[in-house]
Amino acid sequence: MLKKGDIALVILLVVAVIAGLAGIRFYRGGMKGDRIAVIKQENKVIREINLDEVQEAERLSLTGDYNNIILIEKGRIRFEESDCPDLVCVHTGWLDKTGSFAACLPNKSLIMIKGEGEEVDGATY
Amino acid sequence: MLLMIYVSFILASCQQNTPAERIGTYMGTVITEKVYGKNAQKAADEVMEKIAELEAMMTIKDADKQSEIDKLNDMAGVGEVKLSRDSISVLGKAIEYAELSEGAFDVTIGPLANAWGIFTDNPRVPSKDEIDNLKSLVNYRDISINNADSSAYLARKGQIVDLGGIAKGYAGDVAVEILKAKGVKSALINLGGNVVALGSKPDGNPWSIGIQNPRAPTGEYIGIVKVRDKAVVSSGDYERFFEKDGVRYHHILDPRTGYPADSGLIATTIVADSSTDADALSTSVFVLGLEKGMQLVERLDGVDAIFITEDKKVYITEGLKESFTFKDESKEFTYVEER
Repeated sequence: MLKKGDIALVILLVVAVIAGLAGIRFYRGGMKGDRIAVIKQENKVIREINLDEVQEAERLSLTGDYNNIILIEKGRIRFEESDCPDLVCVHTGWLDKTGSFAACLPNKSLIMIKGEGEEVDGATY
Repeated sequence: MLLMIYVSFILASCQQNTPAERIGTYMGTVITEKVYGKNAQKAADEVMEKIAELEAMMTIKDADKQSEIDKLNDMAGVGEVKLSRDSISVLGKAIEYAELSEGAFDVTIGPLANAWGIFTDNPRVPSKDEIDNLKSLVNYRDISINNADSSAYLARKGQIVDLGGIAKGYAGDVAVEILKAKGVKSALINLGGNVVALGSKPDGNPWSIGIQNPRAPTGEYIGIVKVRDKAVVSSGDYERFFEKDGVRYHHILDPRTGYPADSGLIATTIVADSSTDADALSTSVFVLGLEKGMQLVERLDGVDAIFITEDKKVYITEGLKESFTFKDESKEFTYVEER
């Protein structure tokens, strides 16, 4: 027979579980669905940025064999300038979707927005 | 008590469904991984380390270091060179595909690839004389492999092996081996456009792979193929090219002519169990053209293909009818369902 005390205990436990799960989400930083951009140079992480929490535009300079300027704005990121020979990185334009990336191969630098792609999981090119 | 078990189950499955992701620049391109499961991060890291090793073994003409394939090339016409089992495997497969494609795929393309310089900052159109001379150095039959000794030999001075058309494919198969050994059942790896899908997605669904529109910016597709445990690799005239005097020269040389392949195709995609096979075949059928390419694919078990012609028609093999969805937003392509 379920006593009143038992029901109270169950409710308490359920609330605790929900609070716990919510806590984990917030602790990880940002809300689920936030776009986290990762910037790498020579395969080392330079910075990770939560694009959805960006307040002011920011420029970041990457120097290797060549120089890249990365522009970070709320919700999007791109290679803005580069002195590499082919400028593929700059021509890729803005990244704002999860799973998208841009690379400057001559400078061994890249930007990626982590997470699942929206329309497809991957693509050939 | 039950609640605690339930909660830990939820937390564990949350972990399982958040993939370990890695991205890096290796083998002259961008490599991305999405790996699911308990050992996902370790497995993903091990794959990247192995890819870095393969890069060191197989990349040629890197100013900073000499790879074992560079050594093989330097010793052409001189003597044999000891190679890793990985390089021996790739060379073996390369010869297999050269035979299968009757020379349309040939890794001894090196001297011609150098002359065109398409992967450098200074591509050029070589003279006909230059091309004729260099063509004589292109012959996969001049590669001999000694399996027992783990060595190989290039018969003639000036010959150059370039594994660009197969190395990424091989890396994909090696990656899958590593992931499986770590108990991974679900992963998606992309090696510069070569896609390898291990298992299904965590929700049991197949992986959706976009097929690049050869005439639109990267990220726009002409269709989607849904796969489980398959490699999906494309080759096309849009990937790497230069223009001179209004003519476009792309990077997929026809070893038999010495010029960029002019087979009537602008893109090919192969779907196969092995990533090495898919890589070598996508180049092979691009050079062979629609008719011969189709014939080759239809002779092979477990291999399917998508062909896109220069008049913007899309053809697929029978085996893809269920898993391929034609979806062209540019509305410039026509899907030909019956041949």
